[in-house]
Parts: sequence; C-alpha cells; structure tokens
Amino acid sequence: MSDPSAVVRRFEHGSRVPGWDRPADLAKPPATIPDPADVDVPPALREQIEHHMSLYPDRRSAALPALEAAQRVHGWCSPEALEQVACVMRVTPAYLESVATFYDMLETSPVAPHSVYVCTNISCSLRGADGLLDALRAATADDGDVHVRSFECLGACDIAPMASVDGVYVGPLETDDVPRLLADLRSGEPVLADLQLARRPVADPRADSSEYPEPAPEPQKRPTP
Amino acid sequence: MARPELKPITLTIDGREVNAGEGMMLADAAKLGDIEIPVFCYEPKLGEPVGACRMCLVEIEGMPKLQTACSTAVKDGMVVYTESERVRGAQRSVVEFLLINHPLDCPVCDKGGECPLQDISFGWGSGISRFIDPKRHFIKPLELSPLIAIDRERCILCYRCVRFSQEVAEDYQLVLLERGAASYVSTFDSHPYVAPFSGNIIELCPVGALTSRPYRFRARPWDIEGAGSVCTLCPAQCNVELTVRDERTLRVLARDNDAVDDGWLCDKGRFAYQSFDADERITQPLVRDGGQLRPVSWERALDEAAGALRRAGAASAAIAAGGTTGEEALLLARIVRDALRSPHLDSRRAGPLPLALQRALADPALQASVADLEFARAVLVLDADPRDDAPILDLRLRKGARRRGVKLALASPVPGALADRADLALAYDEGASATLLHALALALEGRDASRAAKEAGSDGKRVAALAELLQGDGEVVVLWHERLTAGPGGARAARELLAVAAVLGLADADGSGLLEIPAAANGRGLREAGLLPNAGPGYTDAPLAGGLDAAGIAAALASGELSALYLVGCDPLLDLPGRAEWERALDAATSVIAHAALLTDGLRESATVVFPAETYAEKDGTVVHPDSRLQRLRAAVQRPGAVRAGWQVLAELGARLGVATDVRSAAQASELLYDSVPFYAGLSVEEIGGRGARWSERSQATALPAGGPDEQADSPAAGLDRAELAGRRSLWDAPEVAVSPALEFTARPRELV
Amino acid sequence: MSDERMLLLTDIDEPGLATREVYERRGGYDSLRKALAMSPEEVLAQLKASEIRGRGGAGFSMGTKISFLPAGDIDKYLVCNADESEPGTFKDRELMQKTPHTLIEGMIIASYAAGTTRSFIYIRGEYVLQADVLDAAIAEARDAGYVGENILGSGHSLTMVVHRGAGAYICGEETGLLDSLEGKRGNPRLKPPFPANQGLYQGPTLINNVETLSTVPAIIAMGGEEYAKLGTQNSTGTKLVSVSGHVRRPGNYEVELGIPSREIIYGLAGGPPEGRAVKCWFPGGSSAPVLTADDLDLPYDFDSMAKAGSMLGSGAIIVVDDSTPILDVALKVAKFYRHESCGKCTPCREGTNWTVRMLERIENGEATPMDLDIMASVQEHIIGNCLCVLGDAMAMPIGSMIAKFRPEFEEHIERAREPLLAAQNGNAA
Repeated sequence: MSDPSAVVRRFEHGSRVPGWDRPADLAKPPATIPDPADVDVPPALREQIEHHMSLYPDRRSAALPALEAAQRVHGWCSPEALEQVACVMRVTPAYLESVATFYDMLETSPVAPHSVYVCTNISCSLRGADGLLDALRAATADDGDVHVRSFECLGACDIAPMASVDGVYVGPLETDDVPRLLADLRSGEPVLADLQLARRPVADPRADSSEYPEPAPEPQKRPTP
Repeated sequence: MARPELKPITLTIDGREVNAGEGMMLADAAKLGDIEIPVFCYEPKLGEPVGACRMCLVEIEGMPKLQTACSTAVKDGMVVYTESERVRGAQRSVVEFLLINHPLDCPVCDKGGECPLQDISFGWGSGISRFIDPKRHFIKPLELSPLIAIDRERCILCYRCVRFSQEVAEDYQLVLLERGAASYVSTFDSHPYVAPFSGNIIELCPVGALTSRPYRFRARPWDIEGAGSVCTLCPAQCNVELTVRDERTLRVLARDNDAVDDGWLCDKGRFAYQSFDADERITQPLVRDGGQLRPVSWERALDEAAGALRRAGAASAAIAAGGTTGEEALLLARIVRDALRSPHLDSRRAGPLPLALQRALADPALQASVADLEFARAVLVLDADPRDDAPILDLRLRKGARRRGVKLALASPVPGALADRADLALAYDEGASATLLHALALALEGRDASRAAKEAGSDGKRVAALAELLQGDGEVVVLWHERLTAGPGGARAARELLAVAAVLGLADADGSGLLEIPAAANGRGLREAGLLPNAGPGYTDAPLAGGLDAAGIAAALASGELSALYLVGCDPLLDLPGRAEWERALDAATSVIAHAALLTDGLRESATVVFPAETYAEKDGTVVHPDSRLQRLRAAVQRPGAVRAGWQVLAELGARLGVATDVRSAAQASELLYDSVPFYAGLSVEEIGGRGARWSERSQATALPAGGPDEQADSPAAGLDRAELAGRRSLWDAPEVAVSPALEFTARPRELV
Repeated sequence: MSDERMLLLTDIDEPGLATREVYERRGGYDSLRKALAMSPEEVLAQLKASEIRGRGGAGFSMGTKISFLPAGDIDKYLVCNADESEPGTFKDRELMQKTPHTLIEGMIIASYAAGTTRSFIYIRGEYVLQADVLDAAIAEARDAGYVGENILGSGHSLTMVVHRGAGAYICGEETGLLDSLEGKRGNPRLKPPFPANQGLYQGPTLINNVETLSTVPAIIAMGGEEYAKLGTQNSTGTKLVSVSGHVRRPGNYEVELGIPSREIIYGLAGGPPEGRAVKCWFPGGSSAPVLTADDLDLPYDFDSMAKAGSMLGSGAIIVVDDSTPILDVALKVAKFYRHESCGKCTPCREGTNWTVRMLERIENGEATPMDLDIMASVQEHIIGNCLCVLGDAMAMPIGSMIAKFRPEFEEHIERAREPLLAAQNGNAA
C-alpha cells in the first residue's frame, strides 16, 4: 500500500505506528506451523536451535536464543528466518514474530551488519550521550555497514557516555573518539581497546584494585555477521 | 476429575449482601447481587483472567490498593466498594486512557449501539477528555481475512482476540506485534487469519475493531431482533442467536450454553447463514415434467407425491438425514409404515446395526456428556476428527487438555487436527476398527494384544500404551464417530466397543461413558424417532419385519424391487456411501420425492417431486444432541416464498394417504413425538427450554429396552470402498457452504483453508 | 571508612578471579562445602538470621521468600534475575564479569536451602561479555562437580543454564522475566499467584537478584547473625551502590547500609564537577522519586529512603547537577518508560504515552500551566492502578519532579511560549 500521508491529510501529523496500516494479503495461505518439507533450514542453524530446545523443560523457552541464532545467520529476523525457526521449534511463525517485535535487540527489518548501540538514557545523556549519538550518526550517514541506534540504559553508567559496538562496551566516549571507533570497526581490530569496559577496574578505592595489572580484554566471542 | 463445587458464602458489595460461591471471581459474583462491575479484557470463556484493562478496579476492605474484580476470588465476609470516590476516579481515568486514541467514530461504526466501550464510557466515564493532542489515524478498515475486517484505530488492546487464537483455538495465528503503545493485533507477514473458528474474535471484540465483513453495514442494533435457536449444520448442534432484520437472517451469534458449545461457533455455523437467502434456494414446489423440474402449486405437488407413493405402496422406501427433526422423522415413519406398509426406512450412514447393539449403545448409563470431555481423566477420540465431524468439540477437547490436564488419546486411520494436543496418537488401517478394539480389549485385560494390533495395522506396544493411558482411577470418555460401525465389520466394532466400555467400567462411573458423533446433524434424533429398518420409535421392535437399510434400498431400487424413494434432508449422492450404486438406484427409481432447501446433484438429476424445505432458521421442532440432549429449534424468520413447514407437508401427505395424525401445529407434532418415543414420555417444550434436556438423565430413560452384544452374524461385505464408507469430509464440504458467498474462499485448494 | 567490612568487592580485580582456580585459592566454594554439611533447614535458618533483603529493587526478605516455596517432591526452580536494566544500575554487571563463581556458589547454596533442582540465570542480552564469562564459569563448576548430579556427594542436584534476554526492561520485573524465560513476550503476570507458588512453567520458583545471591556465600561463611550486625536493624549488610550522572568518580561502591547519602555522593563518588551543586538525585534508579540537596544527609537505607518519599530500589544513585533543566530529566525518564511499557495494561500504556506528549508540548512551547495539573493528575491515576510497577516507575519520579520543581516547569512553559505568542501577536497586529 502506498504511503497514505501522501494522499490523505489526516495522516500527515506523523503519529502513525509502523505496521498499523498493514492489511492481510488474502491471496496468501494462513500461516500455520510450517511443514518441514516446505522449509529449508541451514543444518548449523537447526542444530543450534535444537540444542537450545534441549536445555529447557518446554521447547518454547528456546525462542529468544533461537531467534538470536537466526538473526546471526540472516542479519535480521526476516520472514524467512522466522519460518525456519518456526519449522524447527514447531510453533507458528506468528508466535515468533510476536516475540521478535517485543525485544529491542531482535531486528524485524533489515539492518547493516555492524551495530552500534549508543546509550542515551539519563546517566549517559547527562554526560553528553546525545551529542555522541549525533556525531556517530553523522559519521555513518552514508555507511551501509554500520547501523547506529540509540538504546535505553545499557547498564554501564560508570563509563558514560558509552556505546556497545557489536556487543563490546566502550566508554567514556568523546565525539573525538568517533573516527577511531569506526576505523577499528571497519578494520576488524578490537574496537577502542583502551576504552573497553572489560579492562576497567572497579571504582571503589577500598577494593584496592591498584596493585593488580590492568586485565587484558576478553576475546570478542560474539561472531560478527 | 472433581468438578468445581462452590461453597456458599456471603459478601457485602456497596452495602448490599450478596450470596455467591467461594472462589468465584468478584466480577461474576457481583452480578448475583445485581451489581455491574465494568470489564473489557475479562471473559471467563477465555480462561484465567489477565487483569490487563484495569477497568474493574474496586476497593476491598483490608487491602490498601485497588484490586481487579476480574481476578479477585471472593471470600466469606469480604467487604467491597464499587462506587467509592477512589473507585470512581480509577474508572474514569481508565476510560479516559482508553479513549485517548479511540476515534469515537461511533456514528459510522458497526458496533455502535451494542458496544461495551460505548456503554462503559457512558456509564463509568467522565464524559470529557483532557487529551488535546492529535489522535492516531490509519487507513481503515483493513482486511484481516476474507471474513473479518480490522480497524486498528478502534482497538483498545484488550487482548481478547489474541487470547482466543492462542489459548482457545490454539491456532496461534493472531498475535500482538510490537510493544507498549505501538502494539497492534496482526498476523505473520500479512498472512490472513484463516482458521475454522476465527469468527469468534468478532464476537469477543468489545469495540468495533474486529467486524464481520458479511455483516458490515447491514443493520444497526435498533433495526434487528435476536432469535435463539440451534444450528443444525452439523451434529455439534451449537446454540445460536440469529440476528434478524426484515425477516432475513443477517448474522449468527453464539448463544452460550456450556453444556453444548461453551459459547463458541465454527465459521461454517457463523457464516453459512448466507445460504438461507441464497439465490439457489428452492422456494416453490417442483415437479418433474418433460424431464425438467418445474414450479407447481402445493396441491399439484402433494397430489403427485401422494399418487406416486400410493402406486408404489410397499415398494416405497424413505431415508432422512441432516437437520431433519424428530417430528418430521416420526411423521415420515408413519407414512411409510402405516400407510404404505413398507418396512424400508433408514437414517444411518454407516449401515445397519443389530437392534440389541443399538439399544446397548444407547444405554443411559453409558452416555457421556459434552462437559465430561473436559473433566474426564482421559479421553479417547476414536475414528473421529472432531474439527471436521463436530467442530466445536475440538475446542472442548483442547480446553480439557490445556486447563485440566485431561489425557488425550487419538486412534484413527488418518491423523486428525488434534494431533498437536494428543498425549498418544495411534494409527490403524481403514476398516480395521473392530480388530483394533479387540486388541485394545485384550490389552486392557492384560493379555497379549500384539497379534491383533498387527492385524489392525497398528502395533502391540502402541495399543498397550493406549490401554495403560485409559486404565486407572478417574473418568474415561470414548468419543467415537458413527463411521466406526461402517461397513462389513460394523457390528463387530460395536460389540468390541461395548466390550472395551465394559472392561473400563464406563457404565459404572459418573462422568465416564461413550459419546457418539453421528454422521447426520440430527442422526441421534432420527434413530430415536424410529427411522431405522430394524426399530420403531425409541428402539422398540420394528413394527414391520424385513426392512432394508440404505445400501439395501439402493440395490432394491436398482433392481426394480422398490420403485419409490422418499428423501427428507438427504441427497444420497452427498450423504450416503456408494455413489455409483446410488446413481444407478436413482436412475432406476420411478419416483423420487424430496424435501430440500437446495437442489443438490442427486436431486437435480433424479427427483420427481421436490418440496421446498425450511432451513433451521425457519423451523420449529426437536433435535437430539449426540449426548442425548433434546434441543428446540425455534423459527426466527418467516419461510420464504411458498415454503411450508416440513411437519405440515408430511401431515398433509399422510392425510392424503390415510394416516390420521391430527397434527395441525408444530406444538402438536412435538407432542406426538414425545408421546411416541417411550423414553421421551412426559417431555414438554417447557422442560426442554432454551438449554435442552438430556433424556438419559430423566426417570423415563428406563423405558429404553435392554440391549446386549447381539451375536447375529455380520452383514456380507457390501464391496464398497473403505474410504468411501468412512466418509471423512472437511468441515467446509457442505452445500450450505458452497452457496454462501462469504465462504467462497474455502473452495480454494485444501492447504488454503 | 576503611575499617568498614567489604564482602563483595574486595580484591575483585585480582587477575583470574573469574576462573575456578583463583576463586578456590581465595577460599571459593568453602561456603558451599560448609552449607552442604548442614541440613537445608539449617542453611535457610542462616539466611533468615542474616535478615538480608533482596538487592533487586523491592527489598523483600530473602529468607522469607524461600520459606514461601511449598515443600514436596515437585519441580521447583531457582531463577537468578540478572536482567539489570534499571537506568543507573550496573552493580550486577561488575559481579558477574569479575567474580562469576561467587554467584554460582550462592545459587547452589540457595537452591540447596530452597530444594530446587533446576536453575536459570536470566541475563540481559546486552551483557554479552558477562554472559560469556558465566557460561565459561558454569562449565568449570560443572567439571568440578559443583553443578550437576549429586553435588559433592550431598545428594543435592542442580542444573544451571544461562538464558540471554534480548532487550526489554520489563523482563527485569520478575513475572515478565518468567514469561520471557518461557519464550514469550515479557508481559508481567497478575499477582497472585506469586512466583513462589506458581512461577516458571507453573512450578514454585525462587527469584533473586545477582547481588543477593552473590552475598549468600559470605553469609554462610560468617554466619547469618554476624552478617545481620552489619548495616542497620532493618537494612542489614553491605550493599553495592552504583553512582552515576554528575559525579566525578562514577562507579560501584560497597557500603554498609545506613551510611549518610552525602558520604556516598561526595565522599566516594566525588560529588558534582567543580562549581556545580546537586540539583536532585535518584536514590534507587530512575524509578525512584527524586530527592533534592536537602536530603543529602539522610542515611542510605531502605527505611530512611522510604520515609523521605522515595526508595532505595536497586541501589543506584543518579546525580543531576544544577546545570540541567528539570524538563530534560523528566522527558528522558518519561520517554524511557514509554518505550519500555509492555502495553498490556491500560494506565501504563496510555499514561506513559500521554505524559511524553505533554512534556513534549511543554518543550515546544505549546503548553499552559494547566497541563502541569493534568500531568500531575495523570501520574496519580497511574500510581497503584497498573498491573505491574512499570507505570508507577514513571509516575512516581515524574510526579515528584512536578511537585518539587513546579516553578521551574512553569518558567519553562512561559519561556518556550514566547516565540509562539509573539508570532500570534504579530499576526494580530
């Protein structure tokens, strides 16, 4: 359906919610639990999903890890990805779409392969996160490889303002750090190694962290897409 | 399984003493004291309360916060306020919150006038809104399915529709997407919500967000009347309320009866009302003249029919099916037996069963009720797929399994729709029911069943597992379809079924028993009215011996031994096995007289006289639910055209043939029926009422003659195809569906519906 | 200060503490051995004697919670709430990342006391590093026989699975967490039934926060009564406090409950930057009603914060200095809760949305002082009327900001309207 705001004045004010104008396509069949004969699931993905299902008394508990695994394979929770997960988990794809759209980390529209979550919640914002987000957005405006998005509190207010770059926490960040951050990301180097949370000692001076050498950053375990 | 029994208690609501049952939800208990607590999300039919809409907040003494009445169980001595200033404030604020984005387009909304949101805003809202920002607007309405339109502006996110899809129908197609204020009801990737029970969400919606596409803009609530009746499009016989405007049925709603349907309808029942006013409907008597069926006067049609039957005399036969009422069946039997002196009457699709077996199967002690399916410890669904055979029972079985942990076992030659819910599913060869049941009986007795199981196309271990599931303390119900007794092994299967019932002690335990789904919508009522070759009304001995069953009638017509066939609500080509045999029989018959509302294949080609028949919306009479519940059909609209009541036509025809029944009204026809069937004795229309009455629970039930495992030899193999004998038909495979424009989409390839 | 007891952060940066080897060398898993030598009832008695209150936000007694679990041979579950997502809170992250075995040991002891045999750690999906560390540590613990069948020959068995969330604040609410762990949308459930009776997969479930469970080994080591001597009478023990916002040394600090709040904000975290003063502070995450500079000398414990009209919550202090307009704070808070509202109940779903719309109008100069009254009334209608506490979590701080900073809001409304009024007057002329 074409964008209604172009033709109908009352849609102009911008309070529309994406998806609310989505009608059903009556030519499609109803979306029931997929028939295994109709859906090709990459064997590695199937194996991962089945492993997750085995960890819980109820197979549906595996929905989040399974969707995350499918997102790693497909880049986002595409209809195709949802159908594959549904086929292995023996649930309807609607069940999974309902779950996927509830959680911020599951993408239900296509995104760039690298993701940068910038925390813009209160503690980070008090320390300049909104400017950081603007700078990152400006620097990646034409970059199809990096997806910058504002995120709610990431639980690292001690390094505010901060960002999670493909899952690696870095901070405190200044707008000056943006070029280096993006350069590291593009080159595949550990991102801002000196600013990674993994190396940061606890703040409480009485914990007496000073005698210990700075710990080496943990290896990045999360496979990048 | 123990059914909830409520201890009587007294609580105080707004200073009024209210007697209720302990543990009832406060929102329900308040109604007993004539106090209304407004609700949106609460609907007991959907299961546990969710407390989402917050409309029902009330003040309870001893609790600091306001509580949701939908989820608070009442206790003795509880003191509740539903009209205090605090409660009023909360109610006004919830209404104000709900109306923030609601478009208030009531003047153009189908729900206007029968809308809970309207009523509650009026009754409990403040009348003004302090929200001055622009509301959300969307393109609307959108198609959600061929049957349902969705208007997302109006949705108040009460969760009812998605809970139905997920927790009642369990099709999990309708879900909420996104989160918070952006949440909306939708399906996966723009697929339509097409499922056998989807229409229920229209009725559940407390606002105008989900509307019926066939009903949209057809009427306003003040234009219409509601008329209660019973849907006879299938044996489930759901209780319905027809929405009538200007003598036309415009809508079918559920008329909640927990003993029958739990308040749900299938989409066939909900939308096939369009067939009542279809162009294809026959509204005048027709007589074949020069090879063509031509409209004629009633006089002419009755004369033709009477003449034909008189000429054929004892070479006549009659078969009834579908929603033919007990009254019609009884009058038909009088004509055939008393006037024509013919013993050839039938109503069983599955073929004949020795009378002793039929009596044994009808034993009141063995009759399980629909509610028993929900409270039993275990249910065996035998050679049936409830979704197609009696759809609403599918929901009841799911409910029992989900909410009460009923163990569900399936045994059928084909996998059914309940497979996802079953604790055990056992497949066996088509036509091998008797052998399978024999194996089960052996296993139940602790004997080796492997040989018999293998012979039936199953295996010993599965049968042993089934036996184990059925054994032990607690009620067991076997839900089986008439087709179990179809064909050459039919009588044996019935005997084995009775043997299994005996081993399990089904007759001895309350809540245990057998529940048969007959092939015809009123199959049970037709048999009880005596429409059988080997039995009179109430399974008495047949007044005339030597009656042929349906297959025998077909053969005798083909060979010329019989010449006239009288059909009521039955087209042999659609309703009976052996299409080829029946084509020959209809060709050979001299006269074929039929009562029909639609001209289906067999009648179009072969009928010589067609009486235009009523649909259930136009009909008065009695039908019998599979669980022995007599139910009343009550005419909701006038008969169209020249259509006359079935009882009237039969009574007139009887009079012409010399049967004096003195039936001059529908009420007299019913009286005649109740007087004729011994175990209906003393029944009245009042006793049946709007909820029905189970004859098996009345003292007169002892009038049923005792039965037993008749050892009569099985009838010889009829040589029919086993699958054809079993007659598994999709829910959508019905003439009423074919002529309902709204259901046209169901004619698409099977995977689409 | 230096003589105060530290139980959780001492030597937390020791290299390799996340490994079993180093953890054991420092006495790790001794508490588990000690506990397994006792009966489950004795362990529970120790936990009760410690009077430790939950560190997740609600502050409910841990010992009491365990005793709510029905006895009997049924499937019972232990769930560790590691969804730390209350803005301003990052204490659990530090514990899980640096000393995961403390949590694992605490969970095994708690499961022994509660009679649960399956456990799950629900960790927010954003904590990738911490989840990986936990996975590795659990594998080590399993190899050493601490997790699995018949732990150290005690007859007690426990499985442990790390379950990663996927970004939803509401999954920190215990029943939302359970739904999410069951693979559904993280919508909170009606209570009662409480999780102790009917929780995960309908079974009795004990849910505790990371910090609470990580404290268990220390309680067993020192004895419950000894632990109860720390802190104040109603707020026993030590507490990790995450301090953030306008302070010079943001981070985690371990304090004995009852310490003056000023001591934490100024003494430990260094106070606001040079030349600025505290305007307001959230004592327990962004859900807590704000306090002002006048409240800095209140003791930092559960009761004192409640008495001041706020709450200790998750123990996250967010400091806002006088350079920040209160409207900015209010908008951030309101937008966050609107984004995170699950949408299940009406007052929260619609109320958070409406509040943001009103705040935005104030910002854009389209509001009048009457909007402040409406906004205050909307907050009142949210508080106490929702299915879970998320609605309250917005309404309480926003309500407190309107009450405490009303003149500033009014001033903002007037200032922001000036251009609009000027334009209107211009048109009129």
